[in-house]
Amino acid sequence: MFQLHGWEAVLFYVLAIMALFMGVFVVTARLAVHSALFLISTLVNIALLFILLRAEFVAGVQILVYVGGVMVLFLFVIMLVQTRAEEEARVRLYTRQSTPAVLVAVLLALSFILAMQPAQPAFRLPETAAAQTAAAQTVDASESSTMQNTERVGEALYRQAALPFEIASLLLLVAMVGAVLLARGRKQEKLYE
Amino acid sequence: MPSRYELLVRVILWVAVLGLLASNARKLSEFAGPRLRKVAFAVVWTVVVGGFGYGIWWVIERMGPKQFEPTLVQFLMVSFLLFIIGVAGVLSRRNIIIIFMSIELILNAVNLNLIAFSRYLQLNQAALVDMKLIVNPLAGPVFTIFIIVVAAAEAAVGLGIVISLFRNRETVAIDEIDLLKW
Repeated sequence: MFQLHGWEAVLFYVLAIMALFMGVFVVTARLAVHSALFLISTLVNIALLFILLRAEFVAGVQILVYVGGVMVLFLFVIMLVQTRAEEEARVRLYTRQSTPAVLVAVLLALSFILAMQPAQPAFRLPETAAAQTAAAQTVDASESSTMQNTERVGEALYRQAALPFEIASLLLLVAMVGAVLLARGRKQEKLYE
Repeated sequence: MPSRYELLVRVILWVAVLGLLASNARKLSEFAGPRLRKVAFAVVWTVVVGGFGYGIWWVIERMGPKQFEPTLVQFLMVSFLLFIIGVAGVLSRRNIIIIFMSIELILNAVNLNLIAFSRYLQLNQAALVDMKLIVNPLAGPVFTIFIIVVAAAEAAVGLGIVISLFRNRETVAIDEIDLLKW
């Protein structure tokens, strides 16, 4: 069974609550820049949760690609597109359907948590088996160390998932060309024609 | 038993002290006001936070710490709540860039879900193989990496569209972008 113990459990709760609060701040922040900074915080928290789940490679990719790449792109676009109207509270922040959306979201969250409550004991370790399984888990963790896990993911990426990997590189190329084409201005358009 | 004279002196002294305090109340509050307010604020907050922590400790002690150790279900809950926050952001914000960020939030919730299930499969591989199920715990991380790649591509193209839109219409509010609406 899969259950975190001791400090890992405390860390899980801290990271999860931080991630959720920062997610709420992403949605409710007045300025897009603040929203982006809160999103960076959420992404780092989720990367730490990945490390808690022993997926170190994915955590590294998350930090490098998301926080290092995508969020910098977001910040650049926010700086290019920034209008003073939002800062000075002259515009509405939310659309007209925001109240029903939030209501439905809260109801969905409550219903999901209530629906998962009966499933909880099935995933929990029986008290007697807890100690030996914990020992087995530590052995397992020492066996499948960082390097091995990363190695196995890399092997799967280049063997079983080789075709999707190449398609992903093609997708990135197409996206790059498409972004350049979409974002060019009038002057550049004339230059190329 | 105090004598009548002593009682009289006491009453006069109390009245004088209270009268002095009352007549100088404004000055006193100006002198001690901000500081007293700060002290009261600190005391109240200490009591509230301490009481909250004590309440959590009491519940954990009463129900047993083992009941609160996170399993797969807790990870699914966090993931679902992040997903819901992202959906609420997509539906309720007007700024198109914040909508893109909410979409990133949704994608991250899905990633967390995949990684949690992958860890679950990895730890229970033997038992699940005994039940004649095909188990591949590496599918989670591999899928997550592809989702991150697609999210990066989507963000690049989407932000390109935002920039060209801002160049043409001078707005990033989604309810003002209604050229294709009839």
